[in-house]
Amino acid sequence: MDPQTAQELSRLNDADKKELNQILANESQKSNIQQMVHQLNDVCWKKCVTGKITSKTLDRTEEACAQNCVERWMDTQMGILKHLENMRGH
Amino acid sequence: MSFLGGSSTSSPSSSDVKNALVQQVQQEAAMTNARALINKINENCFQACVPTPGSSMSAQENTCLSNCMEKYISMWNITSRTYINRLGVESKRMGGADANIVASLGSGL
Repeated sequence: MDPQTAQELSRLNDADKKELNQILANESQKSNIQQMVHQLNDVCWKKCVTGKITSKTLDRTEEACAQNCVERWMDTQMGILKHLENMRGH
Repeated sequence: MSFLGGSSTSSPSSSDVKNALVQQVQQEAAMTNARALINKINENCFQACVPTPGSSMSAQENTCLSNCMEKYISMWNITSRTYINRLGVESKRMGGADANIVASLGSGL
């Protein structure tokens, strides 16, 4: 960190530091969620949009598929976690 | 130059520093998000629209690309909404420490 930045940061009072911590934690969580959405959308696009692309909107089937894809992906994650938990218990 | 951007000698207040930091972080986050989206669109729409690359883009390929782009983005919005709703459901089920932040994200992405 350059000296001027360090000096500017030292101007933060405790209340603003606390608020900043909260804001940064939120931004970080938001960024994690966005990354997850990118990954999920990639997976679900490949599964749900398989035909020729002739329109700029999703048709009904594709839209339903996209929603189901996310929900089942989450079910899968929950199922894996549950199974791991059971395995640990043995 | 510091992150405040100015070379001004006047001393910034605590809240000036805070606001500048928040703004920079948010800008960088938006940039990162946009770049990720563009990369994914490029990858998936190239796959879908340019099956056998020729010596130039054909008119159909270009039409396909612009359709694909809009389609990818509208699917991104559905994925985002569905995922965030589900996160809200799951975190409520598990006791709900994160429920507020998740709920506040619902509209903002």
